[in-house]
Amino acid sequence: MTTLLVTKRMVDHPADSHTLERYQATDGYNQARRALGMTRDELVEEVKASGLLGRGGAAFSAGLKWSFLAPARPSYLVINGDESEPGTFKDRQLLERDPHQMIEGIIITAIANEVHHAFVYIRGEYPKPARRVQAAVDEAYANGFLGKGIFGSDYDLELTVHLGGGAYICGEETALINSLEGLRGEPRLKPPYFPAAKGLYMLPTIVNNVETVSNLPHILAMGSGDYAALTGNEDTGTFMMSLSGHVEKPGNYELPHGITWRELIYDIGGGIPGGRDLKAWIPGGASAPWFVPEHHLDLPITKDDTAAAGSMLGSGAVIVMDETTCMVEAAERVIRFFAHESCGQCTPCREGTTWLEMILRRIEDGQGRAVDLDLAVDVSDGISIGLGWPPKMTTICPLGPSAVSPIKALKDYFIEEVESHVSQGGCPLKSAQPVGSP
Amino acid sequence: MPAQVSSAGRFAMSERTLVTITINGEDKQVPEGELLIKAAQDEGTYIPRFCWHERMNPVGMCRMCLVEVDTPRGPMMVTACTNNVTEGMVVDTESAEVKKAQEAILEFLLANHPLDCPVCDKGGECPLQDQAMAYGPGESRFVEIKRTYEKPIPISDLVLLDRERCILCARCTRFSDEISGDPLIEFKDRGNATEVNTFPDLPFSSYFSGNTVQICPVGALTAKPYRFRARPWDLKKVESSSLQDTAHPRMEIHASQNEILRYTGVDNDATNHGWLSDKARFGFEHLRSDNRVTEPLVRRGGELVAVPWAEAIDMVATRFQLVKDEDGGEAIGVIGGANGTNEDAYALSKFARVALGTNNVDATVGDALASHFLAATVDRACISDIDDADTILVWGPDLKEEHPTLYLRVRRAAQELGKTLVVIHPRATGLDDRASHKLNYRPGGGFQLLDELAEGEHADVLHALSANKVVVLVGMASHADGPDLAESVAAFIRQKAVKTLILPLNSRSNTYGALDMGLAPDLFPGRVNVDSAGAAALGEAWGGEPAGLPGRDSTEILAGLDSGEVRALLLVGSDPVRDMPIPSAASDGLAGAEYVVSIDMFVNDSNCNADVILPAAGFAEKEGTVTNVEGRVQKVNQIRPAPGQARADWAVVGDVALSMGVDLGLGSVEIINKEISEIVGAYEGVTFDLLEWEQREGAVIPVDDTRVISHIPIAAGGKASPEAAFTLHVARTMYDDGVRLRESPSLHPLAPGAVVRINPADAPSVGAQDGRPLRVVTSQGEGEFTVVLDEGTPAGVLFVPFNQPGGAHLGTDPVARVTPVKT
Amino acid sequence: MSAWPEATQERARQIISRYPEKRSAVMPLLYLAMAEDGHLTEDGMAEVAEWCGITPAQVQSVASFYTMYKRERTGQYLVSCCTSISCMLLGGDDVLHAVEDESGVPHGETDEEGLLSVEHVECIGACGGAPAVQVNYELIEGVTPEKARDLVGWLKDARPSVVNTDEMQELFGGPRSFDWGIREEEGAVGPYPAFQPLGTVGKE
Repeated sequence: MTTLLVTKRMVDHPADSHTLERYQATDGYNQARRALGMTRDELVEEVKASGLLGRGGAAFSAGLKWSFLAPARPSYLVINGDESEPGTFKDRQLLERDPHQMIEGIIITAIANEVHHAFVYIRGEYPKPARRVQAAVDEAYANGFLGKGIFGSDYDLELTVHLGGGAYICGEETALINSLEGLRGEPRLKPPYFPAAKGLYMLPTIVNNVETVSNLPHILAMGSGDYAALTGNEDTGTFMMSLSGHVEKPGNYELPHGITWRELIYDIGGGIPGGRDLKAWIPGGASAPWFVPEHHLDLPITKDDTAAAGSMLGSGAVIVMDETTCMVEAAERVIRFFAHESCGQCTPCREGTTWLEMILRRIEDGQGRAVDLDLAVDVSDGISIGLGWPPKMTTICPLGPSAVSPIKALKDYFIEEVESHVSQGGCPLKSAQPVGSP
Repeated sequence: MPAQVSSAGRFAMSERTLVTITINGEDKQVPEGELLIKAAQDEGTYIPRFCWHERMNPVGMCRMCLVEVDTPRGPMMVTACTNNVTEGMVVDTESAEVKKAQEAILEFLLANHPLDCPVCDKGGECPLQDQAMAYGPGESRFVEIKRTYEKPIPISDLVLLDRERCILCARCTRFSDEISGDPLIEFKDRGNATEVNTFPDLPFSSYFSGNTVQICPVGALTAKPYRFRARPWDLKKVESSSLQDTAHPRMEIHASQNEILRYTGVDNDATNHGWLSDKARFGFEHLRSDNRVTEPLVRRGGELVAVPWAEAIDMVATRFQLVKDEDGGEAIGVIGGANGTNEDAYALSKFARVALGTNNVDATVGDALASHFLAATVDRACISDIDDADTILVWGPDLKEEHPTLYLRVRRAAQELGKTLVVIHPRATGLDDRASHKLNYRPGGGFQLLDELAEGEHADVLHALSANKVVVLVGMASHADGPDLAESVAAFIRQKAVKTLILPLNSRSNTYGALDMGLAPDLFPGRVNVDSAGAAALGEAWGGEPAGLPGRDSTEILAGLDSGEVRALLLVGSDPVRDMPIPSAASDGLAGAEYVVSIDMFVNDSNCNADVILPAAGFAEKEGTVTNVEGRVQKVNQIRPAPGQARADWAVVGDVALSMGVDLGLGSVEIINKEISEIVGAYEGVTFDLLEWEQREGAVIPVDDTRVISHIPIAAGGKASPEAAFTLHVARTMYDDGVRLRESPSLHPLAPGAVVRINPADAPSVGAQDGRPLRVVTSQGEGEFTVVLDEGTPAGVLFVPFNQPGGAHLGTDPVARVTPVKT
Repeated sequence: MSAWPEATQERARQIISRYPEKRSAVMPLLYLAMAEDGHLTEDGMAEVAEWCGITPAQVQSVASFYTMYKRERTGQYLVSCCTSISCMLLGGDDVLHAVEDESGVPHGETDEEGLLSVEHVECIGACGGAPAVQVNYELIEGVTPEKARDLVGWLKDARPSVVNTDEMQELFGGPRSFDWGIREEEGAVGPYPAFQPLGTVGKE
């Protein structure tokens, strides 16, 4: 059995892991107290040494991110809890089941970056996690862990809980900052708006994911060396994966990096219901290029191995599709998501994603033409030049190019299935079912 | 010192350092930190774009300007509008991948864009159309149904929006937010459903709305006065400067078959950055009014009847000569000349001095700062100095209402350049949201506030004003503030700041040129005192001895007419009954006049009882030079003939002089311009040739000329603010009841009308209710006004916009009382 | 000159105090405006504009960007059925159709009475418990078409004043993404999330 860190408390104490009482009874807030006695450099170095990678999707070194923070003051910390990528539900569990763990991570991050006002941005469709977090924040204020002079020190830290309004794009850190400023959640241009230099209110800002900061109490408690040693590879520590779709045991799993996809889907996930065959899976949230059993089942789940195979671990969401799944419909559904969530500011994403959705809808509904797959590929090419990985984007942010991943899967693995949609005038996998979907 | 021919201001600016970049294999020297799209453009490489606009912050939204830039990780696609050039940057704007991206973007943009170019105003001058031809894929593969919207929606009184044509470049929304400060049009909804729109029932009622039409890269925004009226290729165009804005913003005049159809802004570093207020942009309708005077009219039996020019000229000359012979030139007054060209003004000035023999000339009508302050302030600022100041002080009119180009410039300096802005005014102004410091004072209490400042109160404001470089825009904020206050403010700041530059403000547009041409009782052309050696020399050049004592100003001329000391009056494009703060002074004077001649485009409230009305050519019907608020001379041009028998002012006075036996020697605008450039010292060398050039900056007339008089600052102190329940603030708004606006059907309805703005806290005590009438009474006038409850008007102040349709004049006395009106 | 009751104004002031700049309070204040009027009205947006010192057009621009600010009349119960990929794979579309059929309300619409609004939504982060449904953003996981019909019937008949996620999960749910822990009592009273910051939740 692997070592559990961020989910240990909720596994050991399923009924009350979210309470302050339980949190304090299980070593809670001791690392925040300790951090107050450490210098900023010590903290940043410790986190750098741990190898902790951001858990929001980009997998960037958290310690390195901190060290970029421009020295101007004031500066801000924003916790990204706008988890919205299809297949992803890990932060919801961390927010709902162990909010104090995140708050302690926030306090440590704030101290390490001399931040005195932090925000937790929770997606609007997560009212229960927001309630749990707010209750925990209230408790932390009441006990002097937040507010003026935390833990009896002279360090002040304000923490504001902010609820989103229903927009996936706000998970993109600069869009999230705009949203927090009371603007439309449109991603900012990079350059010049790198948050570490020009973030919230144009001031230096750290944006970290919920899971990322939830790891911090553990890194301080066990030491960066032990944390890094949890895996035998460069992807240190544990990693939460959200497993969904056609598997026997969907759910969140805290795992060390390096097991294979076969182990994840068949051993941990219990395999495909009804003993059906695996057709494809999305390895890292809806944005990621798809994997198929013929090529990818025995690859180890690490950042580099996944990238070498042309995809990414992203937010750690694995969506499994069995042999009964229509690939055209699955692709349409993923693309529909990105078209719906496109902020609309840049042309290729606004127009291209909707166009792709229309083309796939037409094919699925039996109105497809022989030229449509090539057309979809060429439209995709206008969003992500050359359809390579990582994408050569014509867009401001990666949302548009994300919508290209399913087209790439159809082109690379399922051309015949698309062609049979066109030649048969409809979906060959659900010809017995009525046509039409929302 | 020769006239300054550049956009540079009086504050020194530093040179930008250059870096070397490689564009498509060629090394280029470009300014460090410049946006790539601009640097490439200046070096001759045009990168296509829709959303980028040189005068607004880049947003990188349309993605049309994608280029490849070498990085350590290989070539990257970046938008040229959002990346700054750096030393050694290697850029490819023509690679296969760039072309692929350009084709893709155009196909995406055209996917939902209607193909209604034949009926679209923009067709023929449409960036989308042009770039689709140049960079597009040729055909669309989009077979789905295009987005449609309800056909066009009026987003303001002047602008219509066709949403299906919109390509969401955010130019209009950025303009309203970043430039004009009226964020009333915004993106709405998101993704593929994104559109530009206003809030329901809250239109884009901006004084600058027309700019969005001009910068729209498609035909989504169209102007009502122009919509469906012409095709771009049928238009005749000349460049000119607007006389409906004191900064004289540069613009193009577009006409078809001698009818002016639109004005468009021309980007000019020195003044307007391409922007025009709606008053300037749509201010051409009066020229085609059916109410133009097109024939010489003389009063016979109480009626105005048309007569031939020769007959009218003879009558006028004979009568003026008679008065001059009997009582001397001082029995004749000349009012006006501020709305024409410098050539008109010079001819009028010479006519008055040489033919009429009078110094009773005044281009202003009792509402202006002193002529020597307006014309001869030695430390006068250039408009571009606003950009380089540390602190900008605006103590005078609400710039948004009266000086729209200066408003945009100051707003930009505060918002985009981070300058400290101090606004001092009796009530809210359009700049308040960008002001670092704001002080209100009771109308008429300006000196009291100045005393407070002199005594060290308002420390934060004083600190801001004690900066290194301070630009002061001063004028009369209210009719209750006399002309002395502005001079005292200027004198006070000169003591505070290390370096102070002053921009004295007056609202009538070519007042500065008129004063420079000597249309003032105390000034001769070239800003020289009438009793100075310079004036004597000028008189000699004119072949006579017209110099002497200062004459009467407008108020004194009208008083003289009333008392009989002045017998005859020449009004030139002037309407003192409408424009003078105390209208009875004007109407009494006109009623008492023995003989009134008016040269005008229209019959107005002042010349309606004149003995002779001579038809005047209007703007764009004559060429010449004009001088703006900073002393910048620019050329205005003719695009159509004057209607009927109307003639330019200079030609009319020249003929009257000839008929009086005096040859002014001013037979054409070229000759007049040449004479000005030769004998009017400050205008030395400012010829048509100098101004007919590719750039638009014009020439700034020097002010540190030895012939310029220097004025003595007036010490602050003495005047207390009036004790009254209400003090009255009367000030101009952009739209009013002036005759040219009255003859502009698109603009006249935008005037606020006869309203009184009152703080909601004051309303109950006087029974004022929003939308109900209220009677306002002063010692000089009274009338009924519709109440507008307004948080922007401080308690104890009443704001009545000046010269409104149906609105009475209330004079300059700030003590007012109000009575409810029973209905 | 706020049209809001004093208690709401006090809440607004508190919310604004939690941000360095008042414009940042736009989003929580929009929820407050929805709670006042049942959905986001033009008056509500104009009110928020006043509080935040921006124009109503700017507020509308923000509000219309996000899906949860309902600018049209919305039922007392907003039933949101997830049809994104993971839910679709496990029958989310069928759940939606069942809700539409049982309620008689097509997705995107509200019944005449103003009781039920039905919508299909993109991923709501319940993929491990797919298919998932929310009522006023209170979550139910592992919903079948039959249970979905029961849910609609219950909302119509029982008309709970507060909808609570634990209660509905017990009545109409199935497998969950993860263990939920101690039962929670709070819930939503209208078609907006039962959350406002400052230690205040759903119940009114």
